[in-house]
Amino acid sequence: MKVAYVSPLPPERSGIADYSGLLLPALQRRADVKPVRRGARRLPRGADVAFYHIGNNPDAHGWILDLMRRHATRVPALVVLHEFVLHHLVGGLTLGRGDAEAYRAALQAEAGPVGRLLGHAVVDGLIPPLWETRAQDFPLATPVLELTDLAVVHSNYVEQRVRSTRFDGPVRRIPMPIWPDPPTTPDAEVAGLGAGVVFGSIGYLNPSKRIPQLVAAYARLRDVRSDSVLVLAGAVSRGLELEPLLARHRLERGRDVVLIDHVPEERLWALLSAFDVCVSLRVPTMGETSAMALRALAVGRPLVVNDLGWFAELPDAVTAKVPVDERETDALAGVLATLAADPSRRAAMGAAARAFVRTEHDPEHSADLYLAAIEEAAGGAAVERAVLDEVARAAQDVGVDPYGPELEDVGRLAREVGLGG
Amino acid sequence: MRIAVCHPQVPFERGGAEVLSDTLVAELRARGHETELLTVPFKWYPPQRAVTNALAWRLLDLEEAQGKPIDLVIATKFPSYAVRHPNKVVWLVHQLRQAYDLDRTDLGEFDETAFDRALRRTVHRLDNQTLGEARRLFAISANVADRLRRFNGLEAEVLTPPPKRLPYRSGQYGDFVLSVGRLDRAKRVDLLVRAAASINRLRVVIAGDGPDRERLEDVAQSEGVDGRVEFAGLVDEEQLAELYSRCLAVYYAPVDEDFGYVPYEAFLAERPVVTTRDAGGPLEAVVDGVNGIVCESTPADVARACLWFAEHPAVARERGQAGRGLAERLTWDSVVGALLS
Repeated sequence: MKVAYVSPLPPERSGIADYSGLLLPALQRRADVKPVRRGARRLPRGADVAFYHIGNNPDAHGWILDLMRRHATRVPALVVLHEFVLHHLVGGLTLGRGDAEAYRAALQAEAGPVGRLLGHAVVDGLIPPLWETRAQDFPLATPVLELTDLAVVHSNYVEQRVRSTRFDGPVRRIPMPIWPDPPTTPDAEVAGLGAGVVFGSIGYLNPSKRIPQLVAAYARLRDVRSDSVLVLAGAVSRGLELEPLLARHRLERGRDVVLIDHVPEERLWALLSAFDVCVSLRVPTMGETSAMALRALAVGRPLVVNDLGWFAELPDAVTAKVPVDERETDALAGVLATLAADPSRRAAMGAAARAFVRTEHDPEHSADLYLAAIEEAAGGAAVERAVLDEVARAAQDVGVDPYGPELEDVGRLAREVGLGG
Repeated sequence: MRIAVCHPQVPFERGGAEVLSDTLVAELRARGHETELLTVPFKWYPPQRAVTNALAWRLLDLEEAQGKPIDLVIATKFPSYAVRHPNKVVWLVHQLRQAYDLDRTDLGEFDETAFDRALRRTVHRLDNQTLGEARRLFAISANVADRLRRFNGLEAEVLTPPPKRLPYRSGQYGDFVLSVGRLDRAKRVDLLVRAAASINRLRVVIAGDGPDRERLEDVAQSEGVDGRVEFAGLVDEEQLAELYSRCLAVYYAPVDEDFGYVPYEAFLAERPVVTTRDAGGPLEAVVDGVNGIVCESTPADVARACLWFAEHPAVARERGQAGRGLAERLTWDSVVGALLS
């Protein structure tokens, strides 16, 4: 069986390219998997199934959705939804290409007349772009799902969201693969700070990563743990006034809070290894799985997350979960204080984190599950037809209308044993 | 208790699995339970038929019969465990092995087309669902439980079936090695037939019948051992007990067998067993140097093992007797107790 693998790939810089860099070789050891070059307009000749990776960035994934459209109905499509909210992607492929009507149509398909009106309002500049303000309310996953034969997701959260759409194909949940034995030498700069406890957060620094809440919570801890440091690593978004935020909480840059604006890939592991506690907050969620959170677990670090989406599904033994409500900052301050005061708890969480990642997120294990999904996507519909046709023929032979209500029970029981989505 | 024992039936075939189901029904009845054996004819080819058959089991309504509830359903092998019941216990004889360990081997059934690959995955999902929903999951051997863990991530308790009740006895250690069982390729009786070519002083008696018989007779002829290899065909219980009681040793070396009664039966007649390292289930009973010989799966190694017993009859007796305790510990009381617990 020939599999066309359609994804951003290294050396392209993105989480999904890294993901494919890890998964592709493991898959190629199991099946005939041909990577498709970026921008290709055709799948490899003779492909039995196409394996598409879809994220929200139109620059990285626009060509993939184009390819899906060209091969729809001809080559079965297995689609990994790296995020459920694809509003930005769809916006890029419609408005970004000057096709306002296609954008309005997508919104209408999702939310009826209200969606269409909102589309008009966005196009006419009457309201801010929905992808910046309310993307989670209008995820626009349907334009991708309607081209999908089998959807792969990484979390129960996204699985439920997919099942809440009109998509009636199979949905398989497969853990995101992560490096099982990453380097763990601590970053020299952070280690050189000589702090008693280092809290760290890596990623684009913006309000949705809850940086204001984190800084406020950390400021309370800093009053009682003067030997602690908060490291914020990543580019600062335009929407976040970081310096005034630190000043407001009387935190001194360089002493209390260390900012590292650019983190090359090779330094990520070292930074994570230098932290005593990793913080990976995110509200709202777009249904994404955080590779950074998994990396932190892979190096055996306790992880602080919001109790939301995929993050809420992580085991309690490896994470401390912070609610998303008015108590968020208080709860976060409490969690930071507890972890700062209890090195043995941090060690236990770290050991559990390493074991969890090795078991659940091992690339070989993921590749086995992907191979099952690939084989199902390639021939599953034909199998279903063959089996159900046999039942329908038998029904017809004895005078029962195979499409009548008498066979509803058969359909229900078939679904119970894995036939029919 | 009203109990339905579910067992798929391959028409006109009878082997260890059928013996197990029949005996289970008899033992449950003997303990006062109203018990019925339910069968549906099973065909596994073309491969999609296996899934259709599973769906047929799923469609059965076994929650009650004639207005009275069925309290317990005990399912045995694929696809009978697809049956739906709130109190379903599975005593797993085997899954559709062609979809698992036998895939891409000579005994496999699924080819490399997208259809067959997907069909194999359908069987996996069906097993995950229908075995996973059982209230309790037992396997007849550690080998079967291990496959279930490896391929489906499901845990089963091992519940070894007791051997058939025969008029077992122990007589003289004679001049022949006995093979017992259905004659099909996976039972690998040809290893013993070929081994016979190099053991002039030993005879081989093959009890049982099956689709591989003609080929085995050809092998015997081409190896020039016609006179020393006897195909006894199907034998009754008395004849079988007699053969066990007079043989030197028992050969039993299928390819990765699920379980295998034969070693336990041999032990009850105080006979040592020759088996091979890749035999699967029999290795849970036969311990090399204790109650038999475990050798490589080549005719030469099998021949060497048989000859060794011929040259050391006292050790043959000693090892046969050593196995007896193991077989005697397997009782229907403990099996029924576990299944109904």
